[in-house]
Amino acid sequence: MPSSIVRTGGMPTDKKVIYAIAIVAIVVTASAAVLYVLANQNREPEQKYPVYFTTLSVSTMKGSLAAGGIDGFIAWEPFGSEAIDEDVGVALEWSSEIMPNHPCCVVAASTDYLSKDLGGGLKGSDITLRFVKAHVETTKWMVDALAHKDGANYTLLVNLGMQFTSKSQAIVTSALSHLKYGYQMDDAFMDGITNFTEMFINGGVISTEKLALGGYSSVTDFVNKYANQTFLNAQSTVQPSDSMLNPSDPVRIGFLKADIHELAQWVAQNKTAGGGAKSFFEKYGVNVANASSTGGYSSGPEEMDKFAAGEVDIGYLGCAPAIQKHLNAQVHTVMVAQANSEGSAIIVKAGAGITSIDDLQNKTIAVPSTGSIQYVLLKAAVEDAGLQLKLKT
Amino acid sequence: MASVIGKRLRKSIGENWKQYVLTVVSVAAFVAAWQIYSAYLHDNNVGYKGYIPYPLDVAKAFYTSFTTHDPNTGLTMTDHVAASLERMVYGFALSLAVAVPLGLLMGTFRTANAAGRPVVEIIRPIPPLAWIPIFIVVLGSFWGPIGIVFLGIFFPVLLNVIFGVRSVDPILIDAARTLGAGRGRLFMKVVLPFTLPYLMTGIKVGLGIGWMCIVAAEMVGNYGGGVGWFIKDMAERGDFNFMYAGMVMIGLLGILTTGVASLFEGRLSKWMGMK
Repeated sequence: MPSSIVRTGGMPTDKKVIYAIAIVAIVVTASAAVLYVLANQNREPEQKYPVYFTTLSVSTMKGSLAAGGIDGFIAWEPFGSEAIDEDVGVALEWSSEIMPNHPCCVVAASTDYLSKDLGGGLKGSDITLRFVKAHVETTKWMVDALAHKDGANYTLLVNLGMQFTSKSQAIVTSALSHLKYGYQMDDAFMDGITNFTEMFINGGVISTEKLALGGYSSVTDFVNKYANQTFLNAQSTVQPSDSMLNPSDPVRIGFLKADIHELAQWVAQNKTAGGGAKSFFEKYGVNVANASSTGGYSSGPEEMDKFAAGEVDIGYLGCAPAIQKHLNAQVHTVMVAQANSEGSAIIVKAGAGITSIDDLQNKTIAVPSTGSIQYVLLKAAVEDAGLQLKLKT
Repeated sequence: MASVIGKRLRKSIGENWKQYVLTVVSVAAFVAAWQIYSAYLHDNNVGYKGYIPYPLDVAKAFYTSFTTHDPNTGLTMTDHVAASLERMVYGFALSLAVAVPLGLLMGTFRTANAAGRPVVEIIRPIPPLAWIPIFIVVLGSFWGPIGIVFLGIFFPVLLNVIFGVRSVDPILIDAARTLGAGRGRLFMKVVLPFTLPYLMTGIKVGLGIGWMCIVAAEMVGNYGGGVGWFIKDMAERGDFNFMYAGMVMIGLLGILTTGVASLFEGRLSKWMGMK
């Protein structure tokens, strides 16, 4: 007898269908229940509750805070000031309170660019020296402008900040008051970098094998080599140039979108700030072009990827990704100057009654990524308060 | 039991040894090509050499990811797999619960098809990933990624069920009618059993898409880790050995779930008298 779809003997087919559906339903419900129980096992009550973190792109943090998806966030300026200005959040702690004078953004150069032959006896390192000179002069101009708030330069600086970040005057003014611009890689900077690197190694984010793989014998050896003082030491002798030294081969500069920490590169491209006729970059004969076609990168780790891909020659970025991706993935970079210190804040929902780190127990705080300086700062603040920082589950 | 399995395995190897040899050779060739490419990048000190680690380092990282708690998150790979599986199970269950009845309805009734088809055809070509920014906010951090998985599995299942219902042999329907089957019995005894293999195909395709969706959805801010989150996190830290370990894990999970579905399909069709 040929087999038929309708009848196969034994149990009637319609009953089989009902059984099949029932079995599927039971299996699905049971697995969901088991997973639910497993997931909730981790949520047993403790004496002190941990503080939870999640990762979010900086540009979406304010919206997520307003919508109630998170209880707070830690971000670079001007995103903290923006949330405060719009009454979405209040500052719980500025990073100057968590870790005074902590280094933040740096100027890094691709070592492939340093050794690049630009023709006419000119090397990438020659242009980098002039770039550093322009960065130093610009930073001095910015520090001076910030010191004289009634001066025309301060007004110009705020305007340039508004241009670069697309934020209001109130937000930019507030942001500028919460960070320190600087170019020197002085003792405080070196200590900060050493501190961060040790935190990464002790926390297991960077293994000691990776340190050895990079050719460094110790953290001190790494910091001394990676924070390369050569250009800062030599820049004082650099004289202005009448013409562009690299007219057809611009330095491809990287920076984070709307990150006011990295305002120096924006100011250095402005003719008025440079004295009228020429910008600071032009004054020292450096032709620059933005490496990003979309107005800046969204995170430091992303910028390090572009360094690795050979699309960035010199870039402004947070020192945390600059350290981590250089050591973990051997990206060919070196730090040539500081850009700023401080300038991040833990922002919590306005009116939520959070007034101390202790109140953050069981709350969720967004960080840009676990490879960011903001993550390190949040972890330090939470652990200083005797609490644990955990990924939100 | 064990002896039965052993017997079957021996029989299977005896019959299919050529396939097994080819499988091993093809995987070995892939790993060898990877090794050579990585060695080339490292020997020439290419800027992105760290982004293409050696296969052995990835294997070590894969092992370590299960045995060591990540210092930043306190989680192991097992926790991430559990988080991803949880989203997958929810998304899968919801998809089936909606797509199967809807598919049967749209396949059986012309009016239902005419009413539902336009909306389905408008939304179907939109990649589920395009909804991520919306779902993460509107559905929240927990249900958002599940919603993406739901969409990924929903359409293959729905379309396959509709197609299954449509392709029931008219002779079978006529025969059943001649034997006096009413609408209800016709549906239960002819249409539904005939549709099951199509449903299973839809499920297998959907599961593959579901894993792609879960990785992408987890990469955009969400709670609770997950293998996709792990991959993104490791990439941001520059710990590429572990990033690849996460990718291997997703591959294995995909193979596993599709394998289970195939096994289930085989059993089901045998039991239903299809084969």
